[in-house]
Amino acid sequence: MKHTLFGLLASVSILSSPAIAGDVYGPYPITLNGYEGAKTNSVSYSGQVGRQLLHNSLKKAIGNSASLDEMNAYFNGSDKDLTLLDPKSSDSFKVDVTNINDVSKTNLSGKAFKGDIAGWPGNMSGKAVLQNMIVKASQVEKGYDAEHGYDYAQLVSKFTMGAVFYHQACDNYLDEKLAADNKPNNKPYKDGAYYTGKEHSWDEGFGYWGAAAHGATLSPRQNYDIAKKKDMAAADANGDGVVNLKSEMNYAHAYYASAFDKGGKTNYYNTITKAFIDGREIIANANGAALTDAERSDLQTHARKICANWERVIAEAVFKYAGSVYADIEKLKANSGDAKAYRKYVKHWGELKGFALSLHAGKFSLGSLGTELDALIGYGPVLMNGTQVSGIDATGAYQMADASVDGYMVNMLKVQNMMAEEFGVVAKNNDKLAGIKNLAETLGLANSAEND
Amino acid sequence: MLSEFFTQDIIGQFTDPKKRLFFGYIISALFIAFLWLLFIKKNSVAQSVRDIFAPDIWFSKSSRIDGVCFIINRVFFFFLQPVLITQIAIATMLYHWLHEHTFFQVNLFETAPYWLAASLFTLVFFLFDDFARFVTHLLLHKIPVLWEFHKFHHSAEHLTPLTVTRTHPVEGIIFGLRSAIVQGTTIALFVFLFGNEIGLVTIYGVNMFVVLFHGLGSNLRHSHIAIRYPKAVEIVLMSPAQHQLHHSDNPKHFDKNFGVALSLWDWICGTFHHSTDKSLKFGLGSDEQEVRQSILALYLEPFKSLGNRFR
Repeated sequence: MKHTLFGLLASVSILSSPAIAGDVYGPYPITLNGYEGAKTNSVSYSGQVGRQLLHNSLKKAIGNSASLDEMNAYFNGSDKDLTLLDPKSSDSFKVDVTNINDVSKTNLSGKAFKGDIAGWPGNMSGKAVLQNMIVKASQVEKGYDAEHGYDYAQLVSKFTMGAVFYHQACDNYLDEKLAADNKPNNKPYKDGAYYTGKEHSWDEGFGYWGAAAHGATLSPRQNYDIAKKKDMAAADANGDGVVNLKSEMNYAHAYYASAFDKGGKTNYYNTITKAFIDGREIIANANGAALTDAERSDLQTHARKICANWERVIAEAVFKYAGSVYADIEKLKANSGDAKAYRKYVKHWGELKGFALSLHAGKFSLGSLGTELDALIGYGPVLMNGTQVSGIDATGAYQMADASVDGYMVNMLKVQNMMAEEFGVVAKNNDKLAGIKNLAETLGLANSAEND
Repeated sequence: MLSEFFTQDIIGQFTDPKKRLFFGYIISALFIAFLWLLFIKKNSVAQSVRDIFAPDIWFSKSSRIDGVCFIINRVFFFFLQPVLITQIAIATMLYHWLHEHTFFQVNLFETAPYWLAASLFTLVFFLFDDFARFVTHLLLHKIPVLWEFHKFHHSAEHLTPLTVTRTHPVEGIIFGLRSAIVQGTTIALFVFLFGNEIGLVTIYGVNMFVVLFHGLGSNLRHSHIAIRYPKAVEIVLMSPAQHQLHHSDNPKHFDKNFGVALSLWDWICGTFHHSTDKSLKFGLGSDEQEVRQSILALYLEPFKSLGNRFR
């Protein structure tokens, strides 16, 4: 009886609150001084969700052999309706959007990294690299260039995640916009807004991260399955029978974080999402006043935590795909005519390269480490005939040069080593040096200093 | 840092079954010694116990020096360990090298069953490691510069299990390098040929051969209990008495029995000597025995001798 009563009380309390307090991003009250409108929730990041949907759809458009105009519409935005290509509603996973412009009329190109990207041929800015990749994608079927080893759907997708989402969050909203005089908390974000400067800056960072607002209350598996459109029940936090793409979906790096976390060794998704929640609470508690130095310092601590872990999520992906590429080459060396294996190689390489280029789009320059990483991965995968893209000529055509397949396998090992040593990855999926470390560990320390 | 040093570097030597001084191996050695004295030497129980725990050996000046050197060396290696090249570094370098100099296809034997790959790795590692120990030991005796440092170990007048750590730090660095090379090369070669899933045959997580060697009385090599094996066995396996003969101060025993687990290497290289039933006196067997009787002399004398040599 006692148990039943306790159980009843517990379930009532769960039903009455949307989720465990403190683990959900929003709603947060309106704190803007002088606001007299009808809004009750100051959280807003529909522009970011719009970009998440543009990114998802752009990837699908490339894979579907869409026209250049169509691809560009997802990259540059459009006044016309922009059909949402992913996630699309299905019987098992209903979503509430069909036209991206209904969420937000926005674009990816305006927010793409403008710094130089040395790791892609042509000495272009991050934005120009993406534009160039999209043009190239439109020239081959389904964005797959077998001749040079490029899978543009993967390249564009993975680099967009870095050049737009990671870059905007960690090099802008969680960086200079946390300064005292930039988007202060005692003023609206812009004229007519119902949220303060700091509220919206922080919300935009969260939107780029791509986690569902209630994601921190779920398991890594559930978050992963939401991104894969396989767990409607976990996604539909408010129980309205449809996945609200503004707040109930996992996107981009948040999805990758859940993929690593489900291995059990890491907790990136919750670490980052909770740091966003903790930071947002600091801002909400300021109640519309300018943040004190102490509050801003706390906020910056959360921002550092978010971006350090975010970078690590990208590094984990680089680590994972370097391992995949290594394994793919191994298969191709055994049977170089295996078309399926080659297709996988090109796909995995595209993911590896896209994530590796993304590492350059953070707050800090990678310096010589970045140069080394670019050199190890190169401009393209080493093909089985011992060649690799080495540059781009005046007409925009790729140039090829000789390269060693065996040497490239070693490069992949070195990439994994760099991610482990310099970026501190932990999940280490597809670890190609695990055998060495495990054996060394079982044998024990070599330095015994014992006479025999 | 101090507590880490104490628990890992001092206590850890006696609680880690990967180490020779692990208390379990000491207990098994004492038990083997007891059985030997009782059944082979036909001593009484009381006499056997008295022989094993002879205070004039365990608390001799030589043994007390062993104890002090043990602590000093642990301090030394606590600071040195992080800068010494690791087996992982060597294995990684060689693994890369093997990829670029394709004598064999990478993962050539990946489909081999786990038990076969692990057994082969464990056996090859044991043989290579034991051989490398033999060669290193031989060089420590034959190369005059190295012998100056190895005298540290041979100056012991009484042998106890702790004598294994009576080692000049320079020797310690050499041993560390030897192990790193042996482990690094074997690991790289096997991972390259058999893939990432390769393992080691272990007993309670420790290399099977390490457990067997130490569990079967490796600590008696440095002891006053002269356990001998039948002659045919001594050609293959080094008995404790054979190693004790290696410590003998009698010139006719000099430079014999360099091996560790296997005496086969000595037999092949002409440095083999059977054990003897005569009682042995341990030490350098030269005037230097007198010189190397203080801690300071033990640590510094090699450098002094080298200075004189190159003067």
